[in-house]
Amino acid sequence: MNYPVWDIPASGLLIAFIAIVHVFVSHFAVGGGLYLVLTERKARRGGDGPLLGFVQRLSRFFILLTLVFGAITGVGIWFTIGLVHPAATSSLINTFVWGWAIEWTFFLVEIAAAMVYYYGWERLPARTHLAVGWIYVASAWLSLVVINGILTFMLTPGAWITTRGFWDGILNDTYWPALVARTFVAIGLAGLYAIWTAAWLKDAGLKARIARDAAWRWVLPMAVAIPLSLVWYLAVAARAGVPVAEIFGAGDAGVPALISAVFGGALATGYPLAQRAAWWVVVTAVALTVLTLVLTLRRSRRYGTPLASALMILGLVAMGGSEWVREDLRKPWVLGQYLFVNGVRVPPPDGAPAPPAEFVARFGADRFSVNALNTAGVLKTSAWVRPVPEDLLSPADYPARVAHQGRELFRTLCAACHTTDGYLAIRPLVRGKGPDALGGVIARLAAPVDAAGAAAAWNTPHVQLKTWRGRRMPPFVGTDEERQLLAAYLAVLGGANPAALAPPAPASDAGKAYFDANCAACHGPEGLAPFDHDARKPAELYEMIGRLPGINEMMPAFEGSDEQRKALSEYLASLPRPAPTGGAK
Amino acid sequence: MIPAIPQPDPLALPAPAWLLWALLMLTFFLHLIPMNLVLGGSIVGAIARVRGRRGGRPQEAELAHLIVKSMPILISATVTMGVAALLFLQVLYGRVFFASAVVMGWWWLSVIGLLILTYYAAYLLAFREANLGAAGTFLAWLVAAVAGLIALIYGNSMTMMLKPRELVARYAADGGGGQLNLLDPALFPRHLHMVLGAIAVSGLAVAVVGVARRKQHAAFAEWAVRYGAFYCGLATSINIFAGLWWLAALPRDVLLQFMGHDMAAIGMLLAGILLTMTGAGLLVLAATGRRAALAVTGSATTLLAGVVMMLLTRDTIRRVSLDLAGFQTVNWVAPQWGPIAIFGMLLVGAVATVLWMTRALASARG
Repeated sequence: MNYPVWDIPASGLLIAFIAIVHVFVSHFAVGGGLYLVLTERKARRGGDGPLLGFVQRLSRFFILLTLVFGAITGVGIWFTIGLVHPAATSSLINTFVWGWAIEWTFFLVEIAAAMVYYYGWERLPARTHLAVGWIYVASAWLSLVVINGILTFMLTPGAWITTRGFWDGILNDTYWPALVARTFVAIGLAGLYAIWTAAWLKDAGLKARIARDAAWRWVLPMAVAIPLSLVWYLAVAARAGVPVAEIFGAGDAGVPALISAVFGGALATGYPLAQRAAWWVVVTAVALTVLTLVLTLRRSRRYGTPLASALMILGLVAMGGSEWVREDLRKPWVLGQYLFVNGVRVPPPDGAPAPPAEFVARFGADRFSVNALNTAGVLKTSAWVRPVPEDLLSPADYPARVAHQGRELFRTLCAACHTTDGYLAIRPLVRGKGPDALGGVIARLAAPVDAAGAAAAWNTPHVQLKTWRGRRMPPFVGTDEERQLLAAYLAVLGGANPAALAPPAPASDAGKAYFDANCAACHGPEGLAPFDHDARKPAELYEMIGRLPGINEMMPAFEGSDEQRKALSEYLASLPRPAPTGGAK
Repeated sequence: MIPAIPQPDPLALPAPAWLLWALLMLTFFLHLIPMNLVLGGSIVGAIARVRGRRGGRPQEAELAHLIVKSMPILISATVTMGVAALLFLQVLYGRVFFASAVVMGWWWLSVIGLLILTYYAAYLLAFREANLGAAGTFLAWLVAAVAGLIALIYGNSMTMMLKPRELVARYAADGGGGQLNLLDPALFPRHLHMVLGAIAVSGLAVAVVGVARRKQHAAFAEWAVRYGAFYCGLATSINIFAGLWWLAALPRDVLLQFMGHDMAAIGMLLAGILLTMTGAGLLVLAATGRRAALAVTGSATTLLAGVVMMLLTRDTIRRVSLDLAGFQTVNWVAPQWGPIAIFGMLLVGAVATVLWMTRALASARG
């Protein structure tokens, strides 16, 4: 919003694609270096010429893959997040420029060491060659050590939220479990790549030795260590305020509940893509482990490229799924408890360093916080909203304004995640719903709560989100008029007649107004569960309204005044009963 | 009117602006040298390859071989230094840089694919040079063409970000990320200036390689100094006109500020012109054979000093352009001295380690 939105469908998928292929190579760049050095040492100590020859050939593949594809796709992630989330990239760079600078010194040594290691096979004394290899291993892992801090910060920013301190951000809650997990991933991937490259060997004995060693010493330790470190990671993340249970649609953040939710198929709550990704992670990781055992125990002399490639694909899917889950755990934040995916910030908590007066005098107060945008509006704040053509400013031409400004609001606020008809399509979600009902849903997409779940202000330290039906969405920001424009635009997408649109007028019936804004999305005639009062009287409905979550846990508690509650109960009682095909009672 | 330049993050700048600027200049200079050798060297190498394959020109074939072998390392050095420069650029100018990148999103992202393509082409050529024949020549030209295209895309980004108000209008017309800055009259002279400068630096590098090999291969050394001097002299001569074209194509207000008010900038520009011309002249002198090593050393020193002056001039044009557009530096600074000190120490350690490793490789007899 402070920056232009790259106007392409599903831009987040671009990040996912580049990130997944990159991490599959970059973790190999860490573990593969260790594999090369340890295997070279073993071959030299044992005078094992064939094994040494294999390591030398592997090192060529290693530099071609890691120095070119790995290094450049790493830059590619940076380019892509700068395009898709410029505000987040700017904040990250501002906070961690010295982290990246430190990582760059390791990167510099890593690249040089890889080159010298490869070109030094025939030229350097064995001792020096191995020393260069160890320098590579150390610098590659230290590079991971730094980047891991920035990645985990994005999910669990920890004390940085109030201190804005570099070390508070880097050494955050999930730093250590993530570092352990990534280190074992790197080790396991080194084994997978070794099995894969050995598949081309004609010497069956050498192939078997390499495969067994890679499986027992490299892949299987990963299979044991990663589940443990992921359990640790999820437990720590949940303690740090990440709604792990809610995202997976589980009762709690314990492993049995999470597994049950992922495999139970009940996707009524939570984030379906995270649940599906977790399913793939578990299934492919188990398959990978089983296949590795089969290969080691039964086919180590005879396996070929199809089996080895199947292992690689399983590894890629497991790794990609894990990264996907990690990203989804963060939704709807892009920087946890600080910045939403659409570039809207929460105001700084009390005690956090605030911009000094001279900064405010030069640049003004923050225009892109939730509070500021709710006051000033999105359309009047973002330079990247296309201005309204003069002919649309006539009050009589409301549908045209909806078409223009509603689309601009959708692009600015929603398009970071949603497309109209493609990935995370909005049209099926709004089909058949009216502007009032959608306006009601939009108004309660997310509300700030504290760690105990009580209503709070947006500047609460470590603010949490109470989201609509557990769907991880950022709050709507903007004025009431903008909310109505967006709701009308979505209603048209969902099939409403544009010609029938009119600016909302104050409703004469307070009960109907409350119902349209708060209940109709689900209980209107076109909703999932059309309302049926079942011949209940207003007094009985009044009583039931006081315990909505008790009737159905999907329903939020009534939040209006007593007058509205009475009016609502009378309005509900006056509604005609739907045809007897079920519905909410 | 809503400001066209995005508002700074409500976060303090993590270092004094002068330190970030100094590191931007340093890392950009360290990027510029290998980048020039990739861009200019790939052109010189492709020409040498074509001519060397015709027979009777063993030195050109030898030079083409040397360039082919060096290219993957040069690309690696270019990328490694380039990421550091881009990092410091984003801290200082991220607000306009990111907006510009989005407007040309697909082009900007294409740099990644193009880099991978040219990098693998360079490796394929380096590993299979003897067996590739005409396909090798194609790959040599492909590396040169892709390097030139990447430079042009970067030039688009660096010039488009200087016009924030225009960026808003461009985005309103099309936010799909397909735009380039091709109608900017300064774009092509700027690009031409950069390519010719790269060829001149590469010519110098050819002469330096010749001098370095003079004890083992005297005939090649003499030829390489002459050959390098030819490229350096020719490219620098043409570049005077390309540079003047670029200056003339700058927006009038930028030129007025630059030429009329900033004596330091004028001094840097004139020093840059004089130093590069002197550097090229010394190289031509070296080609006559008199005290070639000394002349090449003098040429390298003055030419690189000239590059520094040009780099500072380029920075001044950016600063003046952004000043005119209303860009202001963030005036909330809370230096992260601990991480800065760690970075400084690690940088020294990294340079020492890289020097030790490369020295060990260079001195190894195999």
